[in-house]
Amino acid sequence: MSELIKADDVEFIKKEMVRYEDKYSAIIPSLYKIQARHGWVSEDSVEELSKVMEIPSADILEVRNFYTMFNQKPVGKLHIQVCTNVSCAMNGGRELTDHICKKYNVKKGEVSSDGTVTVNQVECLGSCDTAPMMQINDKYWENLTNESAVEIIEKLRS
Amino acid sequence: MLKCTINGKEVEVKEGTTIIEAYKEMQEDIAHYCWHPGLSIAGVCRLCVVEIEGNPRLQIACNTEVRDGMVISNVSDKVEEAVRWGLDFHLINHPLDCPICDQAGECGLQEQYMKYGQYDSSMAENKVKKRKVVDLGPKIVLDAERCILCSRCVRFTEEISKTNELGIFNRGDHSMIGTVKDKPLDNDYSVNTVDICPVGALTSKDFRFQQRVWYLENTATTCPGCSTGCSVSVYHNKEGAYRVKPREDKENNGYWMCDEGRNVYKFVNKEARLLSAKTLNSGKLSSVRLAQALEDFTSFNREGKKVGVLLTGQNTTEEYKAILEMFAGADFFHWKNNEEKFNDFDGLLKRGDKNPNTNGLIETISNLKDAKSFNASNYDLTVAVMPENFLVYEDYNEKLESLKASKNLLLFSAAKLPKMELKTENTWVFPLKTFVEKEGSYLNHAKTERRIQKATSIVTEAVALNEFAAAVSRGLKININHHESRKQNEFTNIPGQY
Ligand code: SF4
Ligand code: SF4
Ligand code: FES
Repeated sequence: MSELIKADDVEFIKKEMVRYEDKYSAIIPSLYKIQARHGWVSEDSVEELSKVMEIPSADILEVRNFYTMFNQKPVGKLHIQVCTNVSCAMNGGRELTDHICKKYNVKKGEVSSDGTVTVNQVECLGSCDTAPMMQINDKYWENLTNESAVEIIEKLRS
Repeated sequence: MLKCTINGKEVEVKEGTTIIEAYKEMQEDIAHYCWHPGLSIAGVCRLCVVEIEGNPRLQIACNTEVRDGMVISNVSDKVEEAVRWGLDFHLINHPLDCPICDQAGECGLQEQYMKYGQYDSSMAENKVKKRKVVDLGPKIVLDAERCILCSRCVRFTEEISKTNELGIFNRGDHSMIGTVKDKPLDNDYSVNTVDICPVGALTSKDFRFQQRVWYLENTATTCPGCSTGCSVSVYHNKEGAYRVKPREDKENNGYWMCDEGRNVYKFVNKEARLLSAKTLNSGKLSSVRLAQALEDFTSFNREGKKVGVLLTGQNTTEEYKAILEMFAGADFFHWKNNEEKFNDFDGLLKRGDKNPNTNGLIETISNLKDAKSFNASNYDLTVAVMPENFLVYEDYNEKLESLKASKNLLLFSAAKLPKMELKTENTWVFPLKTFVEKEGSYLNHAKTERRIQKATSIVTEAVALNEFAAAVSRGLKININHHESRKQNEFTNIPGQY
């Protein structure tokens, strides 16, 4: 039907909508689906989703903007989120963030010029015992040093 | 019926009444921002807390139903303490720019602040900066820093206008009112969000910085914008009217009015008005005193003359009755603007008949003819009453033009008239009062009577048709009912406004 939401995604969304008591409950899984496809959720996608779900776009945008797990801007192929909450901060999480940014010549929240890397500094990812740690796309990488982190990223980048 | 005690007074309320409704019923003071009788319950502002005997924790009055025997108070120390903290919480990021805020004087937050505020911020952190002077739509400006996130406006666009433009985006202290992609908030009822916004976050472009509200009086009356006849308050001072707001009227318009109706004050102010009576002097219309024009018209012998009267649905029933009596035996013509749309209805309030009293006219004068067949040259005397809200009459100029064929012309107009070259024998022009300057009634679409009340007098020489008829029949003793004394305005505690 549309550019931004592919036919099989529409099918998924329709199924989710009847799975719960209330179709509003299907907003989050649908946004995940869109993000999986595009790496982020644009306002255009929100408007298209609004048509698919027959839910006002303002209601969907409220959900997208509430949760930080939905990217409001495009991200690089590797979306690196470095935890800087207490344990990680004490173990060098902030320095690690700066190190990675410097290494790939990118500012926090922006996409590197080759499109491979976006670095974000985030709050607790619930892995305090293995500080410092980062999340790359869906995966956790723990007990990091500057060197080991870059090594991991390099591997994933190629 | 349930018995309960509120602030020491025993009352009886209906089953299902919420505590806040009980407070309102007995006109007892209770703070509230998010609750509005016309919207669903949100329970987000926490200002309406009350203490219920036997309940260790404070409860919100807006979302708690009265039970039999409840003993409720919102004047205890515990409640006061809670409200103070609740208020502090709302003020963490509020700019407190009341001196430059258009809501000042009718702001719920300011009122609470005067009562409980600490005046100095107790936060070490800086206030979060948000968007200011946002052009939210053609009629509304948003100041997101002033917003206390009560969600009334959001619920309005969801539940009443059903247009869903607004949302609260982001989280925590970054939460902000807005629209998707900054699209304009533009629907036929959008300005109601300004009325229900308890603070100065949403302000009306039309009214912004025009007047401080404490310099305005308000008068309860009826909107003449269409055949619904919404109950409204007109806000005015000696210079004229400045805004129109809806007034609670459960049977007719609930708590709302349409955006178009907000403009009905625009044709009443001096700039738009015909200020004096005129008579024809050697081929030219020239201003004369009202008494002079009346005398002039009275001396005209109407005996045996053929009279044609042109009327619209924009006058009061009382005026129609007086005109009918005065010109008994005349041909009466009904001038309609957009007749094909007369039965249109948008499902909420707005109707296609842009006249408040079409039914009053039809019921008062039985054998009305359609003004399409009106020809001024058929009559010895043409009486024409121009519509006060001339903006909704597309053929206004055309009709005015056609009056030139009159032999003798008696013309009433509230609006300023263009220059007219007239070859009539006699012409008398009288400035007409608008709905804010007279009393009377309309019969709306459902044939229920809607009263209008005099708010102020703007054009001192203007007459209502019934006053004119009375003056002529009394032999000139003009007794025009002008507005005498100013009463002190009550700024925020206007019954029926939330
Ligand atoms: S803009 Fe006004 S009505 Fe809307 S949420 Fe904010 S304070 Fe409430
Ligand atoms: S619906 Fe009609 S009567 Fe009501 S405010 Fe609008 S124009 Fe006025
Ligand atoms: S009025 Fe009750 S919580 Fe806002």
